[in-house]
Amino acid sequence: MVTFYRRLPKFYYVAPNAIEEVLSLLSQYKDRAKVIAGGTDLVPKLKRREIKAPEYIIDLKGIPDLDSIRYSEGSGLRLGALVTIHAVETSPVIGEKFSVLFQAAQSMASAQVRNRGTIAGNICNAVPSADTAPALLVLDAELKLISLRGERLVKIEDFFIGPNKTVLTGEEILQEIRVPELLGGKGVYLKLAPRHSMDLAVVGVAVAVVLENGVCREVRIALGAVNPIPMRARKAESIIKGQRMKAEVVERAAQIAAEECRPISDHRASAEYRIEMVRVLTKRAINQALFS
Amino acid sequence: MLTVNGKSYELSVSPWRTLLEVIREDLGLTGTKEGCHLGECGACTVIMDGKTVNSCLVLATEADGKQVTTIEGLADGDKLHPVQQAFVDHGGLQCGFCTPGMIMSAKVLLDEKPDPSKEEIKRAIAGNMCRCTGYTKIIESIKAAAGNVEGK
Amino acid sequence: MAEFSVIGERLPRVDAREKVTGKAKYAADYSFPKPDMLWCKLSRSPYPHARILNIDTSAAERLSGVKAVVTGKDFGGWTWGWMPATRDEPPLAVDKVRYMAEAVAGVAAIDEDTAEEACELIKVDYEELPSVFDPEKAMKDGAPKVHDYVKNNISVEYHWNFGDADKAFAESYIVREDRFKTSRATHGYLEPPAILAYYDPTGYITVWAAKQSPYFHYRHLSACFKLPLSKIRVIQPFIGGGFGGTKNDSLAGDFCAVLLSKLTGRPVKYVESMEEELMTSRRRHSMIVYSKMGAKKDGALTAIHHRVIADGGGYTAVGPLSIYLAGFATTLPYKLPNFKYDAYRVFTNNPIGAAMRGHGITHTRFAAEIQMEMIAEELGIDPVEMRMRNAIDNPKPGTVYETINKVTLKTCGIKEAIRKVAETPIWRDRDRTPVKEGDISWGVGLSGTSYLGGARQMGHQSCAAIVRICEDGTVNLITGATDCGQGSDTVLCMIAAEELGIELKDIDIKRVDTAYTPVDPGSYGSRVTILAGQATQKAAREAKKQLLEAAAKTWQVAPEDIEIRHRKVFVVSDPEKSMPFGKLARIACYSGTGAVILGTGYSSYGVEPLDLTNGIGNGGTSYSFTAQLAKVGVDIETGKITVTNFTIASDCGRLLSPITAEGQIEGGAIQGLGQTLYEDFVMDKGKTLNPSFLDYKMPLSMDVPDIELIDVVTDDPDGPFGAKEASEGSIVSTPPAVVSAIHNATGIWFKELPITPEKVVKALREKAPELVGNGNSP
Repeated sequence: MVTFYRRLPKFYYVAPNAIEEVLSLLSQYKDRAKVIAGGTDLVPKLKRREIKAPEYIIDLKGIPDLDSIRYSEGSGLRLGALVTIHAVETSPVIGEKFSVLFQAAQSMASAQVRNRGTIAGNICNAVPSADTAPALLVLDAELKLISLRGERLVKIEDFFIGPNKTVLTGEEILQEIRVPELLGGKGVYLKLAPRHSMDLAVVGVAVAVVLENGVCREVRIALGAVNPIPMRARKAESIIKGQRMKAEVVERAAQIAAEECRPISDHRASAEYRIEMVRVLTKRAINQALFS
Repeated sequence: MLTVNGKSYELSVSPWRTLLEVIREDLGLTGTKEGCHLGECGACTVIMDGKTVNSCLVLATEADGKQVTTIEGLADGDKLHPVQQAFVDHGGLQCGFCTPGMIMSAKVLLDEKPDPSKEEIKRAIAGNMCRCTGYTKIIESIKAAAGNVEGK
Repeated sequence: MAEFSVIGERLPRVDAREKVTGKAKYAADYSFPKPDMLWCKLSRSPYPHARILNIDTSAAERLSGVKAVVTGKDFGGWTWGWMPATRDEPPLAVDKVRYMAEAVAGVAAIDEDTAEEACELIKVDYEELPSVFDPEKAMKDGAPKVHDYVKNNISVEYHWNFGDADKAFAESYIVREDRFKTSRATHGYLEPPAILAYYDPTGYITVWAAKQSPYFHYRHLSACFKLPLSKIRVIQPFIGGGFGGTKNDSLAGDFCAVLLSKLTGRPVKYVESMEEELMTSRRRHSMIVYSKMGAKKDGALTAIHHRVIADGGGYTAVGPLSIYLAGFATTLPYKLPNFKYDAYRVFTNNPIGAAMRGHGITHTRFAAEIQMEMIAEELGIDPVEMRMRNAIDNPKPGTVYETINKVTLKTCGIKEAIRKVAETPIWRDRDRTPVKEGDISWGVGLSGTSYLGGARQMGHQSCAAIVRICEDGTVNLITGATDCGQGSDTVLCMIAAEELGIELKDIDIKRVDTAYTPVDPGSYGSRVTILAGQATQKAAREAKKQLLEAAAKTWQVAPEDIEIRHRKVFVVSDPEKSMPFGKLARIACYSGTGAVILGTGYSSYGVEPLDLTNGIGNGGTSYSFTAQLAKVGVDIETGKITVTNFTIASDCGRLLSPITAEGQIEGGAIQGLGQTLYEDFVMDKGKTLNPSFLDYKMPLSMDVPDIELIDVVTDDPDGPFGAKEASEGSIVSTPPAVVSAIHNATGIWFKELPITPEKVVKALREKAPELVGNGNSP
């Protein structure tokens, strides 16, 4: 039968006010529980019956200190799990020093969704087109995951394992996103979509470049929406690194990036178009990053 | 405890009820509308602790202890809020279904930016879908209201 | 002194205050108290084409909180449709389902959660049948049969022949043949259909339903439940947009809610989810137009042959009218001496194709406009010149222009509209070759189109209004005409105020309630201002007559000598003799032992019946004309299109309520933009892959161009105060203007909508490689 649901499924709701409580509940209930932060991904999924309804929904918003943006020179940026997309797109330090993440946040959804949705939620939801993922990949972010058993640091590029799948176990939550200051402000995120707002990325490209005397000292290129998981285009990076920046070098790197990705065809776009757009957007992102 | 438009309500609701459902069905404030119920159209936009949110995506329990403002809370008795008045005067509405959500987004914009550019207005209402007006008179109404609202 | 005191003024809508304060109630805002009211939910088919072998509702019925379950059989074989011969649609599927998610059963339960749960417990045994989704394939012998009562799945078929098109083609200097295709679009209103129904055991149905044309529904309920019309009460709340879609018809949820109320004795509420609406509701037809057009060397059109194949989906609905409209007005707005029309509406296992703003005309006018520009390009004739050479002249007052299929025009402002657009800086300054700025290629395009107003359907066409003068001089206007958001209530009140000589705020109008308001065909085909407006005008005049007679008695003058303006009643030849309108109302109402001052009026414009079979004659009372310019920027590498400007010159006779009419023109243009660039249901074997606002992409605030409006006044004799239609012209003019602009930017004629970035990139690679470099150097 096809039934169109308007109501949420039934569940128990818990709102702990200490992180240990969250972890203990997760350890106890495992897959029978889900955490909620902004709810902008979880609630629609539950309404659509896209995922099995959890017995328990654990609200993280009562945990103190999870919504802070901390920055210090040297150790870089630390974003708590509850930092909203709005907080990122209005943060002066992120705008100045981590522009690629700033631009990614600005490109997302609507004001209403940005006010509630979190960066952590965006990457834990792990859709291949998640906008913050390419930005964090380019920034070489590290994720602090915690459970009752302890904590572990996972590099962002090891975090995604498939569409909607991450290395998070049912007992873990992402507590903090750590962004080192390596490349800092020189970063660009370009998002391609048919309309001028609201759309999911058909292709998302993040680039950060550091030049020294016209030679590329460091470069990072990350792609979203064109691979089962957000990815670094390392082969493309190797074309540029150590090279003098010329148009041909940029074009070659863009071409290699297009060959590295593995997009699917779906109702939003065909694989062929996505591949070609990776080439176009990578070229543009590199050029923009060079001139920023 | 749900505080809506300055009034506090002591309610017992099931955890799976959304803020939108409770506002409309338990409190009888039907001014806030349900359009797509997935956070894509903005018809359900309310202001919660000073920021616009899609109330269809907020669990009612999550709004416990917060200040919620709906369209019914904008007018001061008979006197319309400047944004409401501007929509009336400049034709910023037709069927009116998107209007409550649209006005809430416009109000928050003007509270933060008393003199927004056309681009800023467009961005602020990007999450509020309108099928009737083509947005032109909505943008004109918000610009006109900007002349009349005292910024924070 | 201004010609009018109310008409033409920039007055706010009469319902604006209610809407901006959130007080306006829409269907889903109505409820009965909790213990009484039940919620209805529908169970739907997972297959696009399947025989229903058995339905087991026992588990659903046993679920605690479920009060009743109904299936197709419970409606006793009743079906409905637009014409007696096309009554092929049952409230719930009976023998088989003909499109994905067609409704099969309905449940009433104490709350919606329980109703949803119950739906999952209904077990249906289906025998899947071979399906067909392509209308051209469906027409072939051997294709799966969607309905048994027609041959080759042909739901509607028209063959018209005016003049001798074949001979004209043979004698033409140039003949083009092109294939055009329009997208799978839908209305996209923000309010999902909803109904609150109560079946009183004494045999009386009351519903609060989001109905754009409540009297259709009223007749459907009467026929379905075998109750007299006098016992059917459709109360109309405010409506969150209609645009000619499902709210203009009845739906499964309506019939189920009423039947479930009958079975349980309790009120029943049904609200669709938006995904449900997008997946199952009536959509605009998607049409293939094989267009053949001939012209002389100087660009004068000689003939058009349109062969149209429309995807009708699983049932007929309003299909016959859609296909008629796609043909009859092809002879506007350009002079056309020969016209041949072969049109097929074909059943498929897709969702139902029906009406949408602009209706059938949008498809064929798009094809004809673009093809005419292609011919102009080949002949080396400027697009404005090409149009001016062919455009119909504005008939001199008292004369009538008649097309070869006997469509008649008393006014036609197309030439003035085209001229005014051509004089704007954007048009004058456009370059003929694409102008490139970085990756963006700019282009400007033009269109000249027409749309009908005062449309009619088959059967009952008439409408009426009652003007009631209260003793204090305020007025109630009562009519069955629906304001579904387009602003007709405001326009009708303005007409009444103008006629009576009072102000807009003195008139009150309420929502339609079939228990009290006179029958009205409905809000479609831009008919309300013209026809309900005429009825209102007549009703106001009749009431005014009674008032003037009372004034005449008081002043001992002839009634013709008295005028009312700005609420002041005065003797024209002796203006010192005056009194406020309120005073006159009191005098009139209290004369003798009291008088009730009522004026009634009926519409009488355009009463010719429709000739569907032959396409001869008018489809409406009058026709609007629109010339539009579009400026677009095409990103040559990504194919993404940004529209920056629209200039729209509209001949709507006279704009009675400028704020309302402008809003309609702007809104129609943006809907047209959506269907040109973004909107398309992606189908996979009958399943809609994008039934959400995220992926069925309608224009949002950041997608809209600056819109400049130019008003062309022609003062048509067949509309109140010279009005013609003002709400559908711009949805017809927008697609060809945008396509023409994209051609100017890229050199490519796109003939299939929507024009997605991907299509642009593909076309540029194949056709205009010189525009696409291998990348721009920084």
